[in-house]
Amino acid sequence: MKKTLNINIGNSIIHLEEDAYEMLTVYLNEVKQHFSKNADDFEIVTDIENRIAEMFGEMLSGQQKQVIDIQDVQSVIAQMGSVKDFENSEAEEEMAAHDQSLPPHDGIKKLYRDTDQAMVAGVCVGLGHYLNIEARWLRLAALISIFVGGSGLLIYLIMWIVIPRAESKSEKMAMRGEAANLRGFMNSHQNPLLKQSRGFLAEFFEFLGNFINGTGKAVLKVIATLVVIFGSFFLLMLIIGLAGVFGMWDADVYNNFPFNIIDESYFSTMLFAAFIVLLVPVLALVLFSIRVAFNVKPIHKTLSYGLLIIWLGGVAVTVFYIAKVSSEFKESAEFSQVTKLVPHQTLVLAIDKTRFFTKEDSLKYKIDPVNYRGRTILSDGRGPFDHPRDMNLRLEKSENGKMILTENYSSQGKTFETALKNAQNIHYDFQQIDSVLNFSSALQLVNKANYRGQEVSLTLSVPVGTHLKINRDFNRYLNGYNFWDCYSDDNQDYSEWVMTDTGLKCLNEHKDADSEH
Amino acid sequence: MIAENTQTQMRKGILEYCVLLIISRGEIYASDIIAELKSAKLLVVEGTLYPLLTRLKNNGLLSYNWVESTSGPPRKYYLLTPEGTAILGQLDHTWQELVYAINTSKKGTDLESENQINLTKS
Repeated sequence: MKKTLNINIGNSIIHLEEDAYEMLTVYLNEVKQHFSKNADDFEIVTDIENRIAEMFGEMLSGQQKQVIDIQDVQSVIAQMGSVKDFENSEAEEEMAAHDQSLPPHDGIKKLYRDTDQAMVAGVCVGLGHYLNIEARWLRLAALISIFVGGSGLLIYLIMWIVIPRAESKSEKMAMRGEAANLRGFMNSHQNPLLKQSRGFLAEFFEFLGNFINGTGKAVLKVIATLVVIFGSFFLLMLIIGLAGVFGMWDADVYNNFPFNIIDESYFSTMLFAAFIVLLVPVLALVLFSIRVAFNVKPIHKTLSYGLLIIWLGGVAVTVFYIAKVSSEFKESAEFSQVTKLVPHQTLVLAIDKTRFFTKEDSLKYKIDPVNYRGRTILSDGRGPFDHPRDMNLRLEKSENGKMILTENYSSQGKTFETALKNAQNIHYDFQQIDSVLNFSSALQLVNKANYRGQEVSLTLSVPVGTHLKINRDFNRYLNGYNFWDCYSDDNQDYSEWVMTDTGLKCLNEHKDADSEH
Repeated sequence: MIAENTQTQMRKGILEYCVLLIISRGEIYASDIIAELKSAKLLVVEGTLYPLLTRLKNNGLLSYNWVESTSGPPRKYYLLTPEGTAILGQLDHTWQELVYAINTSKKGTDLESENQINLTKS
């Protein structure tokens, strides 16, 4: 297969193969150049072109074909005679003029990119042709410059865009500095035919494609294999996780944060839908990676459509329940409870880790009130991430000299009533034992209530002049003050503050590292 | 090299004469002229003829008519102008002289008698 071109020569349309066209163009340019010294060059060249058109016409009709190939052009040129033949038969007065004007363009080099010998885009080879330097040195320089600051890469890209690629035979000859005449044309004619001409971007993407096909393919396979391994691992974990969550269903999971949002009645449905939403894309990724890595098609098309439908179903169910659950947070309600405390000169604020047990909990854990009398059960220390911070304490100056704790219970719900009911399901423990104020670290939900953003905000009003010793554990729950701003080297568990008219003031002198001990 | 040069010049001069002779027999198409010249073994390549024809035409020796062609573009059919005919006459005369010159040059022995003939003629 060869590309053909249509030309208009001597007012006839002729189909030419590309190489034949190149040759004819070179020939006619030579002829034009030769006769350009002649006053009647236009007429002569027109005559010659007409005659060539006529010869082509005879060839096409004589040989019953549709396209002129390079042999036809060669025989036409042989019949018409090359410029050298013309010169021989011309008078010597013209010969003299000829010697001076021996085509000066012969051997003139032009800068092109040589895509035939290119490593990337032929910039280095082209430059090498132009500067008469072996391309390998330029390539080496380019490669080094990439590692030294990377400017070479930019320069290379710019040159790639700016320098045209040598597309036609004559351009390639100009690139190598060969004379753009018929002889040079014949010389370079044995070279394989050029690639098709394209823009920079298309060329760049073709290069990328080639890269991916070659070097990139191996890398891609490695990546795909890794994806298969890790994806399969993830799938396994997902299945085990699902089984685990379902297995722990009767246990404590339901009371822990991300799960206690969801109502028990549709918990399993939603969990399963979410599982599918996660599982299917990972499965698809693994299957696709298997296809890339091992060149096998692991599943049937129908099956993949089935997976897609299952996934969409999972998404629909998940979205439905997410909407349902979020509607449970639409309204909010709160109520306050004020407790009068016994004032002391020095108060100790501590986090009480003693766990409150509801009646159900006691049944669940089989706590026998007889056996456990006089004992306390400490709740497992809750990290900051497995639970939203649902208790906070604000310390303020008491206006009337009394010490008051205001407990503000708030919650959200679908309606105001449910929100209020959710707030009422909060159980929060606070205890004053002499000068020690024990605050529970978290609230408890009773009556199997779901998490609906329940929060307890505590405000402790302290008379001016009261000393406060705040436990380190409190830092996380304290609003406005930071334990570490008032940190004593002597007692690392407590920091001491005093309530003043302008708020709390630290009593521990901050000891800098360079001060004496 | 010198031989080649001389040959070229001889051919060139004769070529014009021959072309005029061929055209003088009647209106003729360029490629037919070429065919005739080829059969006369005078012309190697066609490309040489076109500048020649153009030059002769521009000097007023030739004119041409466009004739529609069945295969391809219209063709130029050349014919002699009256001036061309006149010049062809002159060339005929010159050719006779040249033939005489060559003959005479070749038959150096008959030099005197030929000379006498020539003198009596003129």
